[in-house]
Amino acid sequence: MKTFEEKWTSWLDGQLSGRELAEFEASLPDKAAAEAEKADARRLGVFLKRELGAPALTNEEFFSHQLRDRIRQSSAPSAPREAKASTWWTIPRLLWTGTASLAVFLVFTIFVIRDKNPAEESQYLTQILNARVDPVVSPNATVSMFEVKQDRVTVLWTEGLQSLPADYAAK
Amino acid sequence: MQTEATLAQADVSDLDLVTRCQGGDTEAFDELITRYRTRVFGMIYNMVHSEQDAWDLAQDSFLKAWKSIKRFRGRSSFYTWIYRIVMNVTIDWLRKKQVKGGGSEFDDSIQLKEIEPASKTVPKSEALPHEMIERREVRARIDKAIAQLSPEQRAVILMKEIEEMQYHEIAEALGCSIGTVMSRLFYARKKLQNLLRDVYENI
Repeated sequence: MKTFEEKWTSWLDGQLSGRELAEFEASLPDKAAAEAEKADARRLGVFLKRELGAPALTNEEFFSHQLRDRIRQSSAPSAPREAKASTWWTIPRLLWTGTASLAVFLVFTIFVIRDKNPAEESQYLTQILNARVDPVVSPNATVSMFEVKQDRVTVLWTEGLQSLPADYAAK
Repeated sequence: MQTEATLAQADVSDLDLVTRCQGGDTEAFDELITRYRTRVFGMIYNMVHSEQDAWDLAQDSFLKAWKSIKRFRGRSSFYTWIYRIVMNVTIDWLRKKQVKGGGSEFDDSIQLKEIEPASKTVPKSEALPHEMIERREVRARIDKAIAQLSPEQRAVILMKEIEEMQYHEIAEALGCSIGTVMSRLFYARKKLQNLLRDVYENI
């Protein structure tokens, strides 16, 4: 079953005949308007045909020459190039890269851990830093800390203490 | 410049040349290119409105044709077959361009070049400067109107009105049914009538 668009196009291009043509023309509500539109569409066709000249292919021989080159290139064996390309990211190469990356990561991690080893901190310092000076008992207390990393020495300087914190005990 | 060989080949049918191409004869394909390059280029140009793009797409189409020439079974004419490739390449390119939104569809620079808008269909005569300007304006209007059609509608209207191809040939070239061709033609004509009526009624 043809749609209206298909029948209209067939009618406009003179492709309908016989019973199909009669039926279609009988179905048109305004035949005069349809005929006018048909004439208009034909004018459009003639107009397009006349005006739509493409620019001439000026370098015809060069066109063919370029195409011949492309055909030759496309026909040339490309196996060596493919083989070379395919050897670059092989599985062994990927494994090697992964292992090397992991080794570098581990070396850096060990350096960082060694540099920040908490076991090297003084037990006293830890204790005192954890203790609090009661402001009621020692209102003028000041605590200063000096650290010389090069010699691995930490000095804790306290002033104005009325009494030592109860939980401090020299070991 | 035609050589004796090419003159002799003028009598050879497309089908014979295709058979030779299928055996790897590049000279036979060269002859087919010579026969159809102008029409193919012209068809693509009317679709894309750019000489450079039309050149590249015509090259790609012929190259694709060469690569798939062994699949040509001879059920249709070589011309219809290559048109199918041309249409696939061009419509695909137009769709990609639309997706990318790459600039204006209409290439204004073309208007500045030496193009005879009616060079293929009307006997050439020395046009007066004002006639040249008028022609260019008309051509610009047509190009802008065609740019508003979908790639498929463009293909259908150009193949019907310019190439004067039959419905079944267009359907074959586009890989769709005859009904679809007629339907696309219906909407393409309606659109162009609305957009260009004032131009073609005054000429």
